[in-house]
Amino acid sequence: MEMNLGYAGPPGQSPVKFWPIYLCFMIFGILIPFSKPEPGVITFLLSFLLALVIGLLAVNILIMLLNSSNKTLSAESGGQFAREAVGTGMLFMIPFTILAGLAQLLLGWNAVMPFASAAIMTACASAGTEVMKKGAQGIKNVMIPSAIAFLLSTGWMILVGIMP
Amino acid sequence: MNTIAQTAQPRWKVTLNMMINPGEVVKSQMTRIPWPYSLLISGLSFTLFFLQTGLDMLRTGQIGMSTVILITMLGLFYGTAGVALIALLAWALSQGGERSYTVDWAISSFALGYSATLVYALLGIIFSLTLGWKTAVAFGVTGVLWALRPSMYTIRQMSGDRVAFSIALTTLCGAILLLGWALLGRFGI
Repeated sequence: MEMNLGYAGPPGQSPVKFWPIYLCFMIFGILIPFSKPEPGVITFLLSFLLALVIGLLAVNILIMLLNSSNKTLSAESGGQFAREAVGTGMLFMIPFTILAGLAQLLLGWNAVMPFASAAIMTACASAGTEVMKKGAQGIKNVMIPSAIAFLLSTGWMILVGIMP
Repeated sequence: MNTIAQTAQPRWKVTLNMMINPGEVVKSQMTRIPWPYSLLISGLSFTLFFLQTGLDMLRTGQIGMSTVILITMLGLFYGTAGVALIALLAWALSQGGERSYTVDWAISSFALGYSATLVYALLGIIFSLTLGWKTAVAFGVTGVLWALRPSMYTIRQMSGDRVAFSIALTTLCGAILLLGWALLGRFGI
């Protein structure tokens, strides 16, 4: 039987900042077209917008699903626990973003998408781990972020593939 | 260090768990995994990863078979001595000793994180040998990237849950590994 042990978040914490996460998505959006043979302005613009949309979807869907699947914790924390977990967990996109930049700009590997895919999978899984650290229990807290990450990264890869 | 008594799991199970739930493994299972076992995992991962690099270069006519063997041996060195040195660096910078984490624990935890890399390396070598694909970047680099999450949790555990610090140090460790691979690949030629 599932059991919630109560909200374990620290009191009086500063508001959750999501801009570093969106910045990571935006950087991926700029880097991805470099892997294309002759990227134009339209490609960069589309890629940037696509990455931003994926980022917005990832953050907001995760918050929504984690809140709705942990109703007790959500009520205790005023909906903050999922925001805090996603805000902290998804910060783990940063190493992947920096390494993707290094690989593309310094080493010229033309392989940004594997970095983006690993980044979104790791970040979402870490958000799930953060939720459990805050007192949530149940395998769903691992499965939901992983499923969201898989769907979004697959969709992202397909859309990048058909991008002009 | 977490010393809560837990049900002992077989090593292979802990190795698989490191891919799925590294936070939990790092927190409660690593004291039972000896560092030579973990270094065997990381050593094998990098040996296969570097072998794929060599095979890719062999196919494009850049190198001969003797250089492929040399690169593969470099992979073994990289996956054992290299990973141990990076773990040592992370342990020292995180001041793991002050939180009663030993160097052995750090090496073991860091090296076992490469279990996902081993899975990717095994898949890559199968595709490389059977279908003749170039797999070093697609499988090898992807595998190394999947090891970043366990590394992050190891650093976070050693540094007393400092998120920003663990992100910065993970980036540094990842950059050393990837740049080192790129440089050793060139040296191998």
